[in-house]
Amino acid sequence: MELSWRSKLESLLGAPIMTAGLPLGERESAWQDIGLKPGDRIRSGDRFRLPDGTIRLIVSADDEKVEYVDLQPGDLTGREEQLLEWLLRELDRASHAEGSRERPLNREMQRFGEWIQEQIGAGRLQAAVPDEFNAGGRLNIEWIPFLLLADHAARANDAELEKLLQTYLETDVLLVPLRDQEWLILAPDSLLYEEGGGRGDIEETPEELLESVARGMHDMLTSEWLGENHIAVAHPIMPSAAVVDTVYLLRETVALGRRFHQGDTVHLPWNIHLERLLNSIPDEQRLRFIEQAASRTDLLLEPEIVTTLETFFAMNCNVSDTAKKLFIHRNTLLYRLDKLKQDTGLDVRLFRDAVLVKIILLLYKVTKRK
Amino acid sequence: MAGVRLEHVYKRYPGSDVASVKDFNLDIKDKEFLVLVGPSGCGKSTTLRMIAGLEEITEGKLYIGDRLVNDVAPKDRDIAMVFQSYALYPHMNVYQNMAFGLKLRKFKKADIDKRVREAAKILDIEHLLDRKPKALSGGQRQRVALGRAIVREPQVFLMDEPLSNLDAKLRGQMRAEISKLAKRLETTVIYVTHDQIEAMTMGDRIVVMKDGVIQQADSPEVLYNHPINMFVAGFIGSPAMNFIKGGLYERDGSVHFKADGLDIELTEGKAAIVREKGYVNKEVILGVRPEDFHDEPVFLEASPKSIVSALAEVVENLGHEKNVYLAGLGSDTVIARLDGRSDVKEGSNIKLAIDMNKIHLFDPESELNIFEI
Repeated sequence: MELSWRSKLESLLGAPIMTAGLPLGERESAWQDIGLKPGDRIRSGDRFRLPDGTIRLIVSADDEKVEYVDLQPGDLTGREEQLLEWLLRELDRASHAEGSRERPLNREMQRFGEWIQEQIGAGRLQAAVPDEFNAGGRLNIEWIPFLLLADHAARANDAELEKLLQTYLETDVLLVPLRDQEWLILAPDSLLYEEGGGRGDIEETPEELLESVARGMHDMLTSEWLGENHIAVAHPIMPSAAVVDTVYLLRETVALGRRFHQGDTVHLPWNIHLERLLNSIPDEQRLRFIEQAASRTDLLLEPEIVTTLETFFAMNCNVSDTAKKLFIHRNTLLYRLDKLKQDTGLDVRLFRDAVLVKIILLLYKVTKRK
Repeated sequence: MAGVRLEHVYKRYPGSDVASVKDFNLDIKDKEFLVLVGPSGCGKSTTLRMIAGLEEITEGKLYIGDRLVNDVAPKDRDIAMVFQSYALYPHMNVYQNMAFGLKLRKFKKADIDKRVREAAKILDIEHLLDRKPKALSGGQRQRVALGRAIVREPQVFLMDEPLSNLDAKLRGQMRAEISKLAKRLETTVIYVTHDQIEAMTMGDRIVVMKDGVIQQADSPEVLYNHPINMFVAGFIGSPAMNFIKGGLYERDGSVHFKADGLDIELTEGKAAIVREKGYVNKEVILGVRPEDFHDEPVFLEASPKSIVSALAEVVENLGHEKNVYLAGLGSDTVIARLDGRSDVKEGSNIKLAIDMNKIHLFDPESELNIFEI
């Protein structure tokens, strides 16, 4: 079983593979950093020296995104750099050849995926699906859209994945390959209804139902497929009119979820409104806000405090529930909150300060590594 | 069933200079119940996830049975996982949830039925087989998650804090049930927890981890009575072991430990060890477990060389025992666990004798237990 060569490369180089070109405002700066304009032709294996001396090695590049690794001068010898360049080009060539050979039955879905990517690349989020992909009007009915991203898992086989999903959901699904290790899954919205018709448990909201389906699917894929993965789910859509916009939303959801909630693997668009807003704030303003909002922000980086506060917010600021969840005495929790108030001037039992601390914690997650 | 062997395993995340797991060497025997325990961030879950195949191993070798599985996908490792945030398949009933993995592996219907019903019987959920997950309580869902793992009859069970979403009472119950289950199934279990009570009560062997490094791996009894260093000594046991900074000196042929408010004489055996290792006239840290303080008159009479006086600042009466918070012994508060019948009063000065056979001495620099190195 071939494990992801990306992860192996990261381990060998001791540096993460970065992605530029996600819809998160990173694309232009990433291109400018290496002296290129958006649209310039670059390919796997290319190397660029940045103004600060860093060597940027292009791992893969397509119309939509560039994956790269930043290396420090001296990390690799000249011969090692050449070897990497050759290896990445060969891998790129092999993957294209494999792509054209694989999944003969799924060629239509593959072209559908390519069409979706083209529309996103061109910013045509409201584009209607051409008739050639809508045989029998199947995209004119409601489907539940999931975005699946295999993390560092083995290279997946589309047919195997499709069969697994059909066995799991006991119904037909549409599996649309998007980028490498990324798929759009369209599942019938009947999943949200009890057998015999009608919405099942009236106490469960549609969002709760969608979340439980997504979590079940995540667990099933983790143990029965190739390992860790990320899933985002949205409300049912009629793909003929809304598929491009939905894929864009789900990609953004996964990207924001991974950025703000490391460790989470199921991402829900209705849970990340605040994260979306905070992500749009320029770095400089984020840092200024953190510095001004609390007198001792370093305390908010301590793992014990972070865990305490995150649990406190997850328990809707209820002291007893938080203490239970953390397996600590109520007085221990109160002591921690008092200490936080004393050191930072922020009392999270007050709504105003709780909002501030929640925002600071979220901002830290995207600024602390800079 | 099979053992699991980790040889010089490292985990480094890209972009991070520090390894999350460092030079992890462990031979887990077939049918052993092994518990990985440590504070959050110590690398215990990362280690388990590497065994599961959910994290790649940066360096080193992992064997399940005799098979090297570094590059084997999770589904092909013949393991079953039960994690903290388990999710049942919401559109399937309990029977279907448990049968799904077998169905995928093309088991015959009759075999699936036999395994599911046997597992349901073991877990006492036979009456729930037709129910959907949303109609189950937290404890019942947990049993189904276990059942899903059991029916596969894997070589190894991996469990990552599987009880932490349950309330305290249910956790206690499930703790005992999982232990019983492991014995009944005669299978290898690797269990991760941050809860030392779970670790002590469930594990045949416990691995205490800190900062990605194994501190000590041994039976619960050995960890408790012979901790290798201050971290293990302080982590295992509740209330935690008391540490008092002081020094050793020799007088009239006996070795004494002296600190603010106490001067006690070491037993001959322990004195010989500290003499041999050159710790006389040096600073050391005394470690005393709360239950090794005694206020019974008989004990005080029999131990005149280890009597200390202290102020009982707070007395927590737990019924069968009393936790007494003492001031005046070293610079920090010391906790003594006395018998529930003790008449110690808050605010009073009390005399206590330390069981000198059970004390520990630690090197202040290396933090190693002088009696265990």
